[in-house]
Amino acid sequence: MDHSLPQIADPIPHATPAEAGRRPEAPQFTDDPMLDRLYGVTLALVTELAVTRSRLDALERVLTRRELVGQGDVDAFVPESADATARSRLQAEYLERVLRALE
Amino acid sequence: MSFPSPWHTIGRHGLLPAATHDEMVRFDIVAHLNAQIAQSLSPKVKTAYESRARQSFRLRHGRDPVDRHEVAEAMRQEPAYRVFSLVRRNTMEIRQHAGRQLVAREAESLRDRAKSANEGADTLKLDPTLEPPRYVSAVDTHLMRGGYTAERMTDDVTNPANYDAGMYATTGGAAGPWNDAAGRALVDWLRREHPQFKPRRIVDLGCGLGHNTLPLRAAFPEAEIIAIDVAAPMLRYGHARARSLGVSDVTFLQADATDSPIEDSSCDLVFTTMVLHETSRQALPRIFSEAHRLLRAGGLTVHLEQPPYRGLDPFEQFMRDWDGRFNNEPFWSALHESDLPALLVKAGFGAGNVFESRCAALPPSQTTLKNEDFGRAPSWYVVGAWQAAKGIAALG
Repeated sequence: MDHSLPQIADPIPHATPAEAGRRPEAPQFTDDPMLDRLYGVTLALVTELAVTRSRLDALERVLTRRELVGQGDVDAFVPESADATARSRLQAEYLERVLRALE
Repeated sequence: MSFPSPWHTIGRHGLLPAATHDEMVRFDIVAHLNAQIAQSLSPKVKTAYESRARQSFRLRHGRDPVDRHEVAEAMRQEPAYRVFSLVRRNTMEIRQHAGRQLVAREAESLRDRAKSANEGADTLKLDPTLEPPRYVSAVDTHLMRGGYTAERMTDDVTNPANYDAGMYATTGGAAGPWNDAAGRALVDWLRREHPQFKPRRIVDLGCGLGHNTLPLRAAFPEAEIIAIDVAAPMLRYGHARARSLGVSDVTFLQADATDSPIEDSSCDLVFTTMVLHETSRQALPRIFSEAHRLLRAGGLTVHLEQPPYRGLDPFEQFMRDWDGRFNNEPFWSALHESDLPALLVKAGFGAGNVFESRCAALPPSQTTLKNEDFGRAPSWYVVGAWQAAKGIAALG
């Protein structure tokens, strides 16, 4: 079975074209190269989720500082009925997207 | 419970890339991941070795592993080591990627800031004819794309800016706001061990961006200091960084640490910090010979490194060798297996003048990590030699 993936261009250009190919191949730590890649993507997602959570936290704190939101308002938030339906839909759609591969 | 220092506590200077909220958090997560690797994953690797891998090696060979190669063989299948390695390698990749994106966005601004800080100064001496040795220019050391010498444009300083900003994330701030723990440790060691030693001329071989040079400036305000490196971007950035920190009397000279234009017997202190493991086997003895050539009688050469493998438990050797195997440090393993005192003798220093020691930047109670993060804690092995008074060396 061919495990090779298409090359994805790095968004940041290499120093010179000559240097692009000089990196040694990434080491493989599991018996399946796909699993190594899955770890790579998962850890990048872990990082990006932390970025998003921190950004939400920053936003709440800025709003609190400016007295647009009171301390604990977000934790105590209970959606009104129409909002609740919209949020339920968002959550269901989100899970459907994330779990697509398991269906 | 202690946490790694968040990135926004890094020392501010005029060349620091301006990170956004998200960019700072990426660095913070890298610091947290490294703390987790040291605190939680690394002990599990040890447990796996002691409870399973060593035992099964014994069953196959009738004895314990005797060196790091045999430990590696015993550990090859261990899930704990694989997970440790996957997380550690990916954390380095994430750290490099985060740094690359940050400095790419700031590339022109960084170049202009460096240019204006360096304008008209005679303390930045670049040599466009110098061809950096391949052991530097051909290696993406610790996964830094393009390595120390790469330039994306004329007067580029993006790689050193990435190195400077990212080092604070990799170490979780353990090297201090200025990433200068090794330089401070050297100063502390000199003051403690040789309080009478007052060097008049100091050379830092392989200074990089000069972060470990500047503590010497503060400690010896009367001394002339020359920081040399083969990489022009590092020197441009380092010189500008020093000036923005109010230091304008350190000379940043582009030259090879094995063959500098500095006169014979003209220096009192010739040192390196974490440089030897990034030099080739051929260059290493030549760096020691160069130190010998530069020193006047009574002068001192000192080198800060991670400890040699000799005498260490095979499992610790194996753990310390991780960077050599998986972090693009191709000379790491050979360096830690080299007999540096013997190489100093070979370079011309008298056997009785060669020494080994230890130094640290902070008392252990102040370090953020409880377990030593093999190779990243702010404490070092010291190896060096005194230059004998004239006439004695000849006898020696």
